[in-house]
Amino acid sequence: MPHVSFRDRTENAYEGEADYVVIGSGAGGAAAASVLSRAGAKVALVEAGAWRDPEHYPNSAYGSLRSLMDDWNNTVTMGRALWPVVQARTMGGTTVVNSAIAVRTPSDIFDRWDKEHGIGSGGRAPLRERIASHQDDLERELCVEEVPPEARGRSNLLAKQGADALKWDSHYMRRYVKGCAGSGQCLQGCKKLRKQSTNITLIPEILERGADVLSSAPVDRIVMEGRRAVGVRGHFDDPHTHRRGTSFMVRAKKAVLVAASATHSPVLLARSGIKSPALGEFFRAHPGTGVFGIYDEPVDQNVGATQGWASTMFREDPGLKLETLAVPLELVASRFAGGGQLLMERLSQYRHVAMWCHAVRAESAGTVKPSLFGSKPNVRYTLDRTDMLKFRRGMNLLAQQHVAAGARAIIPGIAGMPFEIEAKDIKILEDAPLDPRPYLAILSHLFGGCVMGRDPQRSVTDERGRVRGYENLIVCDASVIPTNLGVNPQHTIMALARVFAEDLLEG
Amino acid sequence: MRFFVRTALTALYPPGHGLPGLVDCDIDGFLRRFSQQAAPLLWLGVVMGALVFHATPLFTVYVPLPAFALPSGMRDRHANKITSFPIYLVRQAIFLLKLPGGLCWGTHPEVRKHFALAAYEPDPQTVRVT
Repeated sequence: MPHVSFRDRTENAYEGEADYVVIGSGAGGAAAASVLSRAGAKVALVEAGAWRDPEHYPNSAYGSLRSLMDDWNNTVTMGRALWPVVQARTMGGTTVVNSAIAVRTPSDIFDRWDKEHGIGSGGRAPLRERIASHQDDLERELCVEEVPPEARGRSNLLAKQGADALKWDSHYMRRYVKGCAGSGQCLQGCKKLRKQSTNITLIPEILERGADVLSSAPVDRIVMEGRRAVGVRGHFDDPHTHRRGTSFMVRAKKAVLVAASATHSPVLLARSGIKSPALGEFFRAHPGTGVFGIYDEPVDQNVGATQGWASTMFREDPGLKLETLAVPLELVASRFAGGGQLLMERLSQYRHVAMWCHAVRAESAGTVKPSLFGSKPNVRYTLDRTDMLKFRRGMNLLAQQHVAAGARAIIPGIAGMPFEIEAKDIKILEDAPLDPRPYLAILSHLFGGCVMGRDPQRSVTDERGRVRGYENLIVCDASVIPTNLGVNPQHTIMALARVFAEDLLEG
Repeated sequence: MRFFVRTALTALYPPGHGLPGLVDCDIDGFLRRFSQQAAPLLWLGVVMGALVFHATPLFTVYVPLPAFALPSGMRDRHANKITSFPIYLVRQAIFLLKLPGGLCWGTHPEVRKHFALAAYEPDPQTVRVT
């Protein structure tokens, strides 16, 4: 029985055994599991969310929030501002709902990891070479390609036009997408099977290689015998009602690999009794927000790739990535300020708006700890003034780009400022507030909480992902990444997880 | 509680400017589903948002009545003003309240037709079981 889905309380408890138990099926978990499985090891992959194939994907944003996202995406940062933390909870993890953007780990990141955390120079070859080699393989296996011209859509074309007019270095994105159909449905999962999310690529492969895959199976605890991880246990979760099902226990003969995400991995380790002064610390992210441009001609931003254009020109100074992001009508309806007749008047322009966003390479660090509410993580995080300066600069750049692309006005979405700003007046954004509360932002690209490093006081794992002070316990997701990246992290997470899995096989 | 959520949402998303309002979008059916399916904390937040909406006309249109009892023009002014209220937590509560309203409104076929968007097929509520 290779795939085990929800089991009711009236059914017998599930018990299994494998060489390696992997918790989480997103970028990190699936990448590690595939390496172990290809080496002939018996793998059990345990995923908290249900397994939805493309024919099961929702169509609407409502369906996406209900069926694919973690707890309706209602985890917010506890800090000066309440910003949502975006995470999926489904087989394939966030690879199902993201835009599958593949950006190679920037070279300066390895320098920084080496200098600040002592990572990367040990082992059989420098980490940067091993990561690069895996990224080569992943690009081949998962068909990384540039957004094709027929799938770019007007919003992405306008963004390129604006960037070119400003002489910015920018590009159409390279993504894990094979022959994008431009359906604009990345956030709801790609029903057309073009996005190469792990639920339709790596996980079916490991199933074929004899792995056991448990879905709707949130892990309550990692089972420890002394300081050795020997398995996981939990209770099935009804994918429709979230009623608790029967229990499961999967024993690991060789190791447990944790890849439950930057918010859930630290919490799971803490709940399992793992002690480390750095556990749940050094949580980082790329917070971001969008700026709308209003154009005379319809843009129809939901036609074409959801995210198809990007610029990394500002990655180092001031520390930003700029991207397009087509937001579904349902979410724009609440994102636009106002209520009543004025809101309806604003929404009537929907076809004429394009949203482009920034992701701030923020140095601010927060914490992720278990909360009082069940298994939910408590994320404490606030951007400091330096990061808010980057945040504001990013909004300025996006406004300039819209104007350069021909927008007649922009909608900055900042409380206390005008709803619409005419193209000639966008300079007023230079004086936008540096308090995070007037902004509607989100946290995507999450890092840390179980960071790797040499210093036991400042890291949870060593540079091979092994939890310090414990045996047979590995962390292989974004939570080990000790810094921000300044680019989309999926490519780095997958390659790093593969490196850790290789190291594990070598002993 | 659904009465408070419904009346607040229909004031935030009224028909106008050629667009259907939430009253035209089966808001009752939507709220029935949403209150059953949403995470309890999320539903609680939406209810709190609605209570804030109804409790604050005194601070926006300077009338000591709950929002549902206001004349329609005044309720419309309140619906707009409360979204930019100077206190952050009030603004956030109203933003959270607007979220399900937007999910209902933007999914409705008439609304989507207006914006040249294809109507959604019903969301399959199925999962892989084998």
